[in-house]
Amino acid sequence: MSQHTISPEITFAPDHLGGTKRIWKTFYLLSILTIFELAIGLTIYNIHKGAHPNASLVLAFKGLVCILTLAKAFYIVSVFMHLGDEIRNMIMTIVVPLALFIWFVIAFLSDGNSWKNLRNTDAGSKPDTHLVAPAAKEPGQKD
Amino acid sequence: MSTTAIPTGTKWWNGGRSPFNASYGKVMMWYFLMSDAFTFGAFLISYGTLRFSENYWVDPNHVFSAFPFAEGMNLPLSFVSLMTFILIFSSVTMVLAVHEGHKMNRKAVEKYIFWTIIGGLAFLSCQAWEWTHLLTHQHEVWINGINGAAGHVELWNTTVSHNPFGPEVTINGHQYATPGPVAFGSYFFEITGFHGFHVFSGVIINLIMYIKTKMGHFDQRGHYEMVEKAGLYWHFVDLVWVFVFLCFYLI
Amino acid sequence: MSSAVSLQQASHTGHDVDHGHEHHQSFISKYIFSQDHKTIAKQFLITGIIWAIIGGLFSVLFRLQLGFPDTTFPFLEDLLGHWAKGGKISPEFYYALVTMHGTILVFFVLTAGLSGTFANFLIPLQIGARDMASPLLNMLSYWFFFLASVIMMSSLFTQTGPASGGWTIYPPLSALGDASMGSKIGMDLWLMAMAMFIISSLLGGLNYITTILNMRTKGMSMTRLPLTIWALFFTAVLGVLSFPVLFSGVILLLFDRHLGTSFFLSDIVVAGKILPNEGGSAILFQHLFWFLGHPEVYIIILPTMGIASEVMSINARKPIFGYMAMVASLFAICILAFLVWAHHMFVTGMNPFVGSVFVLLTLLIAVPSAIKVFNWLTTLWRGNIRFTPGMLFSIGFVSMFISGGLTGIFLGNSALDIHLHDTYFNIAHFHIVMGVAGMFGMFAGIYHWFPKMFGRYLNNTLAYIHFWVTMVGAYFIFWPMYYEGLAGMPRRYYDYANWESFKMFGGLNEFISVVAIIVFATQLLFVVNFFYSIWKGRKVTTLNPWNANTLEWTTPIKPGHGNWVGEIPEVHRWPYDYSKDGQDFIPQDVPVGENETRH
Repeated sequence: MSQHTISPEITFAPDHLGGTKRIWKTFYLLSILTIFELAIGLTIYNIHKGAHPNASLVLAFKGLVCILTLAKAFYIVSVFMHLGDEIRNMIMTIVVPLALFIWFVIAFLSDGNSWKNLRNTDAGSKPDTHLVAPAAKEPGQKD
Repeated sequence: MSTTAIPTGTKWWNGGRSPFNASYGKVMMWYFLMSDAFTFGAFLISYGTLRFSENYWVDPNHVFSAFPFAEGMNLPLSFVSLMTFILIFSSVTMVLAVHEGHKMNRKAVEKYIFWTIIGGLAFLSCQAWEWTHLLTHQHEVWINGINGAAGHVELWNTTVSHNPFGPEVTINGHQYATPGPVAFGSYFFEITGFHGFHVFSGVIINLIMYIKTKMGHFDQRGHYEMVEKAGLYWHFVDLVWVFVFLCFYLI
Repeated sequence: MSSAVSLQQASHTGHDVDHGHEHHQSFISKYIFSQDHKTIAKQFLITGIIWAIIGGLFSVLFRLQLGFPDTTFPFLEDLLGHWAKGGKISPEFYYALVTMHGTILVFFVLTAGLSGTFANFLIPLQIGARDMASPLLNMLSYWFFFLASVIMMSSLFTQTGPASGGWTIYPPLSALGDASMGSKIGMDLWLMAMAMFIISSLLGGLNYITTILNMRTKGMSMTRLPLTIWALFFTAVLGVLSFPVLFSGVILLLFDRHLGTSFFLSDIVVAGKILPNEGGSAILFQHLFWFLGHPEVYIIILPTMGIASEVMSINARKPIFGYMAMVASLFAICILAFLVWAHHMFVTGMNPFVGSVFVLLTLLIAVPSAIKVFNWLTTLWRGNIRFTPGMLFSIGFVSMFISGGLTGIFLGNSALDIHLHDTYFNIAHFHIVMGVAGMFGMFAGIYHWFPKMFGRYLNNTLAYIHFWVTMVGAYFIFWPMYYEGLAGMPRRYYDYANWESFKMFGGLNEFISVVAIIVFATQLLFVVNFFYSIWKGRKVTTLNPWNANTLEWTTPIKPGHGNWVGEIPEVHRWPYDYSKDGQDFIPQDVPVGENETRH
């Protein structure tokens, strides 16, 4: 056992000898990921500008951005916040509770989607006008 | 600081030591951030929920297309990319400060914390400009007439209770926007405001760290762990921005 | 946050030096702004008791209205002024009473009063630590709670009265300032008080978690922790992860109230006028609220489960049955708590498909709950039971948990819930399983650890009267409500005599009200016993009055700040070695003998 400089609870002095190379590498990685995201954002913009935007293509790009964002989050947490350097016990106690977000997101968003359907169909009493036909809109008519 | 290899088979959970080989302060900071993640998570998820409940949503490229000193030019996503890079770069300077702290290099810690504070202030200034732009920049909006009254055009800015980014209509050959989903403006100002408040408190914390470093408090104490904890907070702010950037600007 | 943490850290390294002996401290630093976890625990307890008296009194007031809707009570006008003109509680104030009763009992008594007391008191003592990880944040946790209490209390004295939208503060009642009397300043104060409360529970919870993880004494591995500590650990996890979501909801609600946003409002017509709000959803708030609200009921019940396990094992002179199963079921309940929130919202207009997933997850809770119940019963089985007041309340807790919990299975089915939601069936369910069971666990804890807290015993005769009247009375109050609820009697009505279908329950309501008053009076008996015994109770003369194994009984009778005079004892065994190898009990700090049988 070596110094207990920081706190008596720490048994082994942590290893901090690494250089700054890893930090800069992560910075470049995050920058590239961000530039990628921006490129996709602009692609979506251009798809929307077209006459008939391809909805599923847009959705695919949006899914891709979400994955890229999660990758960025991973690098920030694991390198910048040094969670990757902590011992496994600690990593697990931080990461596992975040899994609660999965059901949190699914339940909330699917309920939001259901409110839209209820609104569009008057709680199921009429067909969804948004799905049936792109009805010719009156001038000035709001959705 | 000398390095001790951690022997395999160490009984981490047997008491008398931290099972994480970390001080309570750092563990507490991590769990605080986890709890704060649930605050932001709840905001962003409820934003998503209302967005899912709408038939039409605002196109971010259309809203965030302005840049300071470039009036009238259509530059989608450009300003927010600047903000994102500022924040990422301030994260790098922060992690460098923590790194130098481990080596007990006071001058370098001072330098990097200083640049982090500058980055935070730059980000806040950008946000101030963006808010001002949204709150003051007006668009023509076609308002429907109610009960047979004729529709008319109004000039609308973006606030928490209305915004001019609804679907476009063509009236008498003119293209007009219609009122956009209210929740867009509400959530935009609420969430970026809450994030901005976190950035602001992060700047304050870093300022305290800067002063304490300059006064040599950490050298007396023999370690720079406090800078490390401030760094955790700062990176968390950056982390939240990654998700705010995704939810409001990209998709 | 960060600066506070590290300031504390500086003093922390000096801890071991200072703590062995008592300093001469001023009254203020010893009793008011104290950083000693035991003093903070007592502060939480006494504040909680004061809140419990107020909250209980409120229930007596509205029970008067429900039991005797046609009678006037002139003393009510003296007591409440314009809220009870002519001796009859006004409808507005009736709703305020119901709301405040729920808020006070759920948050201020059974969350802060319960966790605040026992987590603060037991964690350092039972894991073998000098104090909490950060005594300063611990002190701040109490003072934020105090601030929340002051704000909530002040709302009782405003002209328009306290919040009156129910303790769940659903919008639009809570979001529109003009919706009712209680939606005005009372609602703002409610929201601000809750924000303070959330900060308090966060500071407390972070401290509890880190203390349990980092500050255990040598040999106190996680599987040697008493079940109280496990329960308080999971409670703190629940609080730290779920309260922030309510915090978000509170902030959004404040925006809706004051900044013209429409997070929770849409398509509302007030007095023929269409409000400009659109696009929001009231159900969204319910989701956010119950994402906290459901873990919240486990925040209440988990500590009492831990207390009951500990007290029952000690007083049955038997090891707890199935220690690992008990821990695993606590863990399972903790996880499931986050997955089932929307079973409070089956009939609110939520997506019925998502609802059916919630039914499945909800009914899963029956499994760990049943494991716990069976383990408590098998712990009692063939035990050498000492019927101390703490033990009686623990057994009462199990009884309440079974009878209240079983009706939860009815309510967890979305189909049955269509009939039973918002009826007295629901009232009876959550009052028995959460309210009464929670209070029973708290009483068990107080009776059991009072000697450690104050160095004196509570009066046993009064305690037995307290237990039996409360036990029988609680069933007399809430059991009839199941029948009323099955018959369709809805909750939150001001006067049931106006409805033909509920007139027949007039006599039953009267009966419930009379019993409620008797039970409330008995609680006052407990309060008298409590405060009398602090100064005049029989003195504790032995270190270990209950012959228990856990570490708190190795401290001096009245431990000072720092708990142990010399070294902190090392731990060599689990805390449930009762009636083992011919010995009545073997404390945790006794080394394992050579020929000892393993548990």
